[in-house]
Amino acid sequence: MTGYIIRRMLGVIPVMMVVGIFVFSLLHLAPGDPAAIIAGDNATAESIAKIRSNLGLDRPLLEQFASWGLATLRGDLGVSIFTQIPVLTLVGQRVGATISLAATTMLVAVTIAVTLGVLAAWKAGSLLDRAVMGLAVTGFSVPVFVVGYILVYFVALQWRWLPVQGYVALSEGLWPWLRQLILPSIALGLAYVALIARITRASMLDVLAEDYIRTASAKGVATVPMLLRHALKNAAVPIVTVIGIGVALLISGVVITETVFNIPGVGRLVVDAISRRDYPVIQGVMIIFAGVYVLINLLVDISYSFFDPRIRYS
Amino acid sequence: MTSSRRTVLTAGMAAAALVTVGAPHVARAQARPARQARMVPHGDLNVLDPIWTTQNMAAYHGAMMYDTLFGIDANFNPQPQMVGKTDISADRRTYTFELRPGLKWHDGTPVTARDCVASLRRWQAKDGAGTHLFARVADTPVVDEKTFRIVLKEPYGLLIDALAKTSTPVCFMMKAEIAATDPNTQITRHIGSGPFKFVEAEYRQGSRVVYERNPDYVPRSEPASGIAGGKRVLLDRVIWDIMPDAQTAASALQAGEVDFFEVPPIELLPALSSAPGVKVEVFNKFGNVGYCRLNHLHPPFNNLSARRAAQLAINQEDIQRAAVGNPAYYQVCGSNFTCGSPMGMEDGAEVLMLKSPMAERQAKARELLKQSGYDGKPLVLLHATNIHVMNQTMLVIAQNLRQVGFNVQLASTDWGAVVTRRSNQNPPDQGGWNVFFTWGGGNATSNPIALSAHAANGKTAWFGWPDNPQTEQMRTEWSAAPTLEARVAVIRRLNRHMFDYVHDVKTGQWVGPVAYRGDRLRGLIQVPEVIPWWNVERYA
Repeated sequence: MTGYIIRRMLGVIPVMMVVGIFVFSLLHLAPGDPAAIIAGDNATAESIAKIRSNLGLDRPLLEQFASWGLATLRGDLGVSIFTQIPVLTLVGQRVGATISLAATTMLVAVTIAVTLGVLAAWKAGSLLDRAVMGLAVTGFSVPVFVVGYILVYFVALQWRWLPVQGYVALSEGLWPWLRQLILPSIALGLAYVALIARITRASMLDVLAEDYIRTASAKGVATVPMLLRHALKNAAVPIVTVIGIGVALLISGVVITETVFNIPGVGRLVVDAISRRDYPVIQGVMIIFAGVYVLINLLVDISYSFFDPRIRYS
Repeated sequence: MTSSRRTVLTAGMAAAALVTVGAPHVARAQARPARQARMVPHGDLNVLDPIWTTQNMAAYHGAMMYDTLFGIDANFNPQPQMVGKTDISADRRTYTFELRPGLKWHDGTPVTARDCVASLRRWQAKDGAGTHLFARVADTPVVDEKTFRIVLKEPYGLLIDALAKTSTPVCFMMKAEIAATDPNTQITRHIGSGPFKFVEAEYRQGSRVVYERNPDYVPRSEPASGIAGGKRVLLDRVIWDIMPDAQTAASALQAGEVDFFEVPPIELLPALSSAPGVKVEVFNKFGNVGYCRLNHLHPPFNNLSARRAAQLAINQEDIQRAAVGNPAYYQVCGSNFTCGSPMGMEDGAEVLMLKSPMAERQAKARELLKQSGYDGKPLVLLHATNIHVMNQTMLVIAQNLRQVGFNVQLASTDWGAVVTRRSNQNPPDQGGWNVFFTWGGGNATSNPIALSAHAANGKTAWFGWPDNPQTEQMRTEWSAAPTLEARVAVIRRLNRHMFDYVHDVKTGQWVGPVAYRGDRLRGLIQVPEVIPWWNVERYA
């Protein structure tokens, strides 16, 4: 297993290199000039040209790529063209908010979705099953921002139970942190509830049809232990896979949620950077996203062996 | 490997908790000190050097933490701010400025004349009005610690106006060693002498900007007026919450989580106006002036008749109805210099046929287009789709031009790409363009010198590159005019002339109201292009 993990970790390097080349090429070949945006609308072409030159943006692309690539290999993702703040610092300032949102969202989504999926499979064809599947279809169909605005309107503005927007770090207290994350987590989590509940139900239905479940039932195993210990454990591999995909999808999902609920996370950082062509920030965050994506996939693969002892890596 | 599921889960949860707890304090608890105000500005503060950029957000930031030698008052007259005493020589060529006592930088050191001269030198390199002024400056000697001079080669009536203006870049004073930074390189140290201190440790680009009261600031004795007068700070902290989503900002204002929302969209105004405690007011009476830039370098708009055809075809009313919607917030304007401003003369506007039926205007435009010999080659219109006003306006312009016979091709992209392509002087089919739209603040647009877009000096002019020596001559005349009456007389001629040769095409004027918690804040100052937070009191 250790050898497998090391090999997979080493495999991250070429992936990051390919991502780096793609991101750099796309950004620099796409129209847009950070110098023009920095200079502002009232600036003259001469002033823009001077800023471009001072920032080194008029150097040949290959030269720019080489200096960025070498710095990245040293762990230096550069500094924002606009604020002069190192990219790693910018990410560090925001990663807490994004992790908090992603973690609470997945916690809410997995807890609700697995429960609903198991119940729907257990009572397949019943009203409960149909209600769960109806919820799943709705959750998948309604865009995150629509759910967000509806929640804000009722819960924050009409009933005044929770705040409209903002983020408070966990170090400020558990409740202040949590109350800021409840609405965004529900808004973002609804789609994942739908996704995970459907897979859980399907996977559980397969397992519940197995002979050993019938045997366990015939031997008098109670319903709850049978569902959780015997069925859910064996249905876990596809569920874990879809949770892993869900975590990866969160990377894009948080962008909208962070905007609607004004959470200063990494998603908003990258969207802002794209709109003003802040190349070092976009490149740096994309490299980090790629690394996280690969890491999540690795963790999901490793987790298979915990749920299904027959799976072994060598 | 001997890890158990429980070990892995525990380690994972611990790591998550560590990252979350250890994360920087991106935002603090909602608990609010008594004297604090939160504003949602129109954009993000991503450049902290208000001289390096002409972005308005940087000017807002500058107004908080830096001070100016002069400032305009509520009547748009320049008044001394950091300057205590001004002496103008009889030949009007030497201005002597003495700083008022008690001025200190935020690091505790005194503000000196040397600092001011260095700041002026850096500012003039980036500012249109500054460059115009310094082309006539012979020297800027420092007389003593508190006194310096500006010695002119010839009298220049706009000297103090240029130092007082609020259009970007504003002439902010910085420490000499900071002002020594190349004007095309961003400063890295942020030490002002203004009424608020910038709290760099709490600055989160794209999220929040924090200012604290400068306890050492000595305000002038006069009442606050415009950005002039006594800047009395009545708040301990001012926080700017950067919110990209207008709906969220409006909800936050209604819920009382923020106190001031600078640019609520027009469609949200009815809801905000009826929300308890929320006031909706127009602070910047001059608002914005839209202009459609035609590329004078290439056909068809290197031809006067084609430009005149476009000028007649483009309908301000249609554009404003589509982009702004509510007639209470827009107006059709027959001036190149901001209707309602002292320079907002409408002489010569009859060529726009603003009061004529559209069919009549279009018939005339078709006739002019025919005269121009336009060959039907597609016009490239740069279309920024990510900014509401720009998107709507360009769609209407395209339709207006089609209706009179132009063959129109919209190059739809985002504003970031438009600002790059607009600087391309190549023909439209080689990466250039024919038409783009933008707008200027009404205050800047009212001044023929301050706004770069008013220049008509060919390939060195602002994008569109109009080349008209008469315009340049009249701009210079305006700047040398000694009195308001004399300036207005020049403007009347200049306005007529600019419409006649079609410098660019104006698309109307509109204002954007602000929304704020009137049940908490009072003393807000209404001034164009800056949001002052001095004089503002939180009373509930």
